[in-house]
Amino acid sequence: MKRIVYFFVCVFGGFLLAASFGFCPVPGDVDFVIPKGWPQPHYDFSKNKLTEAGFKLGRRLFFDPGLSRDSSTSCASCHTQFSGFTHVDHSLSHGINGLKGKRNSLTLFNLAWGTSFMWDGGVNNLEVQPLNPIENPVEMDNKLENIVAKLNQSTVYKSLFYAAFDDSLVTGQHVLKALAQFTVMLESYNSKYDKYMRHEAGGEMTRAELHGLKLFRKNCASCHTEPLFTNNGYENNGLPVDTELNDFGRIKITRLAADSLKFKVPSLRNIANSYPYMHDGRFGNLKKVLEHYTSGIVNSPTLAKQLRRKIMLSEEDKNDLIAFLQSLSDKDFLFDMRFRNYAD
Amino acid sequence: MQHSMKKILTFILLLTQSTVFAQNGNNTGTVKIVVQTVFDNEPLKLETKKYVNAHGDSLYIDEFRFYISGIKFSGSGAAASEKESYHLIDAGEASTQTIYMKNIPAGNYTQLNFMIGVDSTANTNGANGGDLDPVKGMYWAWNTGYIMAKLQGRSSVCKTLHHAFEFHIGGYLPPFNAARNVNLETGVLTVEAGKESVVYLKADAAEWFKDPETIDLSKMNEVNMPGKDAMKIADNYKDMFSVTRLE
Repeated sequence: MKRIVYFFVCVFGGFLLAASFGFCPVPGDVDFVIPKGWPQPHYDFSKNKLTEAGFKLGRRLFFDPGLSRDSSTSCASCHTQFSGFTHVDHSLSHGINGLKGKRNSLTLFNLAWGTSFMWDGGVNNLEVQPLNPIENPVEMDNKLENIVAKLNQSTVYKSLFYAAFDDSLVTGQHVLKALAQFTVMLESYNSKYDKYMRHEAGGEMTRAELHGLKLFRKNCASCHTEPLFTNNGYENNGLPVDTELNDFGRIKITRLAADSLKFKVPSLRNIANSYPYMHDGRFGNLKKVLEHYTSGIVNSPTLAKQLRRKIMLSEEDKNDLIAFLQSLSDKDFLFDMRFRNYAD
Repeated sequence: MQHSMKKILTFILLLTQSTVFAQNGNNTGTVKIVVQTVFDNEPLKLETKKYVNAHGDSLYIDEFRFYISGIKFSGSGAAASEKESYHLIDAGEASTQTIYMKNIPAGNYTQLNFMIGVDSTANTNGANGGDLDPVKGMYWAWNTGYIMAKLQGRSSVCKTLHHAFEFHIGGYLPPFNAARNVNLETGVLTVEAGKESVVYLKADAAEWFKDPETIDLSKMNEVNMPGKDAMKIADNYKDMFSVTRLE
């Protein structure tokens, strides 16, 4: 009889212990949040269940320069946290051997709400986006199959893949799913603006910021729509074509004349931290961006209809608008310890 | 006493298990599909054998790979398909040329349907595994989507580096969806309980170059994105399959 009691204590006790450590995600680490008032995310979490092990593996891969052909360049090389995961102060992204790309690296946050990726929208799912920097000869210049072969040589990685996916054999699918578990967790929703909207402490906006918000809603919000500050669309915002880069944007993907010169409408969250601006990083500060929208628009058949009428802003308006844009910086996100480089 | 008890228990266990297996075997069999790659009527030999296409250009083939997906057998009153039916066939790798479809209900089948390429679900739902894993080299990164079929080689008429031609055919969005459905009359394929039936298919690379559009390799030698050219070649190769025999 005693033995039976012991047996049950061991089995169920063990089960409870395992449940508390293994099955339940550690609170805070892989706690994906849908902020109040936001739409449902577009990303299908049912096909890639977030786990602590998967998130940590993705983070390790994100920071691992071993993913590039010559082990010099990681994802984080061009996507640094303090700038909203972009390449601050670099107009065009750099890759291995100091080669330059054709476009400015994009910020990485709130990706679960993204419906397509890259400046031209050529990528239809977050999970397959990393194939681009991995394979681009001027970025990481590698092949997914080489990465998979290399990771399969590593006993450390093999055990991490086992922990994340119950399979120690590293596959391309699992490399991409792990990276997505990290990148999808990069959420930014705690800026001063957010706190203002939620009537929370720290959300006290100045008179200038509030005036800027009003101007923003009147002149910018039809494309940079709250709360994500993008409508996930593609637009021609009237930039003159750089005749050396000759980048015509989304037309390369759709082959439709109507998409000539259209580029992703990027989110404006953390915008003050993610300079320079535009797909080719041509503007170094927000003042130049506003100069463009008020007096630099080049007319063309595909110009966004919202920009066909002139945007009028006084110098004071511009300063207030910039003050508002600065209130979109989210320090909780930019300095979130979970998104640092840990080799664990 | 205890020993014989164990023996009896083991016996009962084996008995119940074998009944379960037998029940499964009672009404289903296996169909093995063997895909033989050819050029006209000759078995395809990569890299070293010279062939002549419909336009009269001589050429070598270095790579010939394609997806077969959504395989279905049907006949009077019987139908069978498989879940997650995506298979990458590679002329250079014999192991990829045999597909096993298990648990096919016994019966007579006369039709075989499948798609050359992969459906839009596979093209849009992120990182897939197995034959759809992007490591297989049948995937476009910059403009998401699978290369549904690939034919690469050399011809002296191509004014390209190393006289190479490269047909990477794909695209899942209308109007340039390059997936093609194939419907084949198999003759009577009999599937018997617990037995294996075999369907031999021929995939003819020569069909890429003709009917309806004869391809002049000096003019068209590189297709590597969705569009009109990819559609033309997909229309050409959609009838590259035929059933050669059943076993």
